[in-house]
Amino acid sequence: MIDYSHKRFLIVDDFTDFRSALSGMLRQMGVNDIDAATNGEEALALCRKNHYDVILHDYNLGKGKNGQQVLEELHHDRLLGPHCVFIIISAESSQAMVMAALECEPDSYLTKPFNLASLQQRLDRLLGMKSVLKPVLEAQWQGDWRGVLEACSRILAEHPRYAPQCRRHQVAALAALGRREEQAKLLQMLISERPLPWALVALADLWRENGQLEQAQALYLDGIRQFPMIPALYDGLAATELALGNPQEAQQQLQQGLRISPNSLLRQERMGELAQRNDDHEQAARAFRHAVELGRNSLFRNPENHLNLVSSLQAQAGDNVLGQRVLGEIRQTLGELDRTWRDDPALAVRSRLAQAETLDKAGQGAEARRLAEQAVAQLAELEGFFSAPAALRVAEQLRALGQPQQADSVLGSCAEMYGDDPQVLAEIATHTDDPAILAAGSQALEWNQQAILLYQQKQYPEALQLFRQALASQPRNISFALNTAQSLLRLLGRQPAAQLQEEPATGLLDECRDCLQRASHMPPGDHRQERYRKLRERLEAL
Amino acid sequence: MNDRDHQGLDFSTVLASTVHDMKNSLTLLMQSWNQWLERLPPELAESGERGVIEYESLRLNGMLMQMLGLYKLQINQLPLRPDWVEVEELLQEQLARHADILQARGIRGSCSVEGAGLFFMDAELIGSVIGNVINNSIRYAHSAIHLQASLHGDMLLLTVNDDGRGYPADMLGRYGTGTRDADVSNGSTGLGLYFGQCIASLHQRDGQCGYIELDNGGTLGGGEFRLYLP
Repeated sequence: MIDYSHKRFLIVDDFTDFRSALSGMLRQMGVNDIDAATNGEEALALCRKNHYDVILHDYNLGKGKNGQQVLEELHHDRLLGPHCVFIIISAESSQAMVMAALECEPDSYLTKPFNLASLQQRLDRLLGMKSVLKPVLEAQWQGDWRGVLEACSRILAEHPRYAPQCRRHQVAALAALGRREEQAKLLQMLISERPLPWALVALADLWRENGQLEQAQALYLDGIRQFPMIPALYDGLAATELALGNPQEAQQQLQQGLRISPNSLLRQERMGELAQRNDDHEQAARAFRHAVELGRNSLFRNPENHLNLVSSLQAQAGDNVLGQRVLGEIRQTLGELDRTWRDDPALAVRSRLAQAETLDKAGQGAEARRLAEQAVAQLAELEGFFSAPAALRVAEQLRALGQPQQADSVLGSCAEMYGDDPQVLAEIATHTDDPAILAAGSQALEWNQQAILLYQQKQYPEALQLFRQALASQPRNISFALNTAQSLLRLLGRQPAAQLQEEPATGLLDECRDCLQRASHMPPGDHRQERYRKLRERLEAL
Repeated sequence: MNDRDHQGLDFSTVLASTVHDMKNSLTLLMQSWNQWLERLPPELAESGERGVIEYESLRLNGMLMQMLGLYKLQINQLPLRPDWVEVEELLQEQLARHADILQARGIRGSCSVEGAGLFFMDAELIGSVIGNVINNSIRYAHSAIHLQASLHGDMLLLTVNDDGRGYPADMLGRYGTGTRDADVSNGSTGLGLYFGQCIASLHQRDGQCGYIELDNGGTLGGGEFRLYLP
């Protein structure tokens, strides 16, 4: 029997009556400590202050955040301790809702109406399980993956009833440790016992990430044959088809996944991008529209969806003049973008350009030019810069709006910042054949290559010299700045602490700080953010 | 082809979406009922009508779920999500769902498990089958319902026993071999068994399918429902 008198509960539901009915049940179970919230924001605020043992959250709370969005945010902000049980409660039984609720993986899911006995039975089981799995969950919370594996093997031996849970934690830990072969072996073992759906998905995903595309494809298809209602299988198959160079097939598969579970922001986002790429502007607009809606209260809201919705709507009209209804939707979408991300000047430029393009297509050329000029003025003031894909899109828009020089200048900056990435350079080449832009960084690129080789051979002073040359030639390049900073840190790290207070170390420290300052202008989603953060930590630790 | 097909009204789709609304209505109805109940004086709250209202609403809910399930089965959208399930927890959960009604009718619900710890199945679907059978047995049981799980060779055997008068003779035996079992026009019992058989046969392993069987006698002397899973 579980003693509930010291457990702390949070109930989140917008119906007063349901809250009091549920509190009544909990009191009958002996619970003394019950907080209540009527919406997701309140729930999050309470979770920031208190640590709950159990959260009972209604899925659909009317306007604000839903249960899934609250759960995502609790995970993201690390507010959900390893012992906490999160249960989603729902009255609806529509498939879209049930699927969405299941996909966010709460600890459990209860359908209204339920009685005291059912609630207690469910809670007894979950709390009992979490107390046995405590060592696993705590190690996981700390990111101690080896600890997770050790705890799992102990629990597997002592409490075989929790083997299914341990297996999942083992797979996750092996994945986090990058022990892919063991991960694959364990998954294969599990599947050979019974066709465990989550293990099928995990193994196929692993194969796909390893580049074993045909194998992955076959496994996804086999999974779909057995379990046609699991959306993750279609997601994985779509990604595999895309990697195999079949974007049309990928779109069809993703469509299947969306049919089963449409209320997934990331799935709609992927669909929009894929449809856009396949020139299926109607489908793209529909998917981005969904994504904008689903993102409204979500942590994962993404301004690209607003901009993509606008460009899909424009593309959908083709050469026709944009109609009033479409114009209205575009205005509303960009308005929401401007309000939601009002502190992001780079987005403001892109929003204005999208607006100018829209007016241009609506036959209001003069007004479009005026807005384009405004955007150019804002662009000149911009401190940071766009991501590479955004920069390419901006250049395209500027050219279409009669600003070819500005377009080239954006491409030039893009080449300077991201030119060390051959894929980006190839993309730039599809927008311009100006050698001044395309070849500007080639010498620096060569120095950078040589420097990387020297660095790998541990010839740090020589490497630093060449990284410095590359950076001096392309001062806005993020990789060159990070590489220079890393070489400086390598050299500084070898010095005794006392010497760090004196020249020449202090000069090198300043230089390193300056390099990282330059790199800090990279856009928020850039893949080098993590590396930047680590270098910054190392510098501060000196 | 029927003339009415041209009107483009697919009756099963209409039914499915109406059932959704009916289920939501029923939920609201039951919530209101529970709130009302709290305000009623005890002599009215504990009257015989309470049992009828609660039992029939649970039955209604079960039938609606079953109808949705059959619809999804027909369009191949019944989500089968099997996993390793603790058999005892599954049975206890169904007893807990019916705890109030069992108590109100003075029926003792119990459960025993032999040798079956974890078994691979879709807990949601199998749970709903067992729940429907319990619901049905409550109508016939005098004083007891017993759930049991055991291993039968490679297969898991789940049984629901009651001490009622048992199933009619022409329904006995393995489902699909009797004379009356496929008769879904015979109200909720027939439909429930059909649904149970469908869910059971979705569970397959090495060419072996799950199935259901009816018998009389059993541990409590009344009806015995058997569900075999591979």
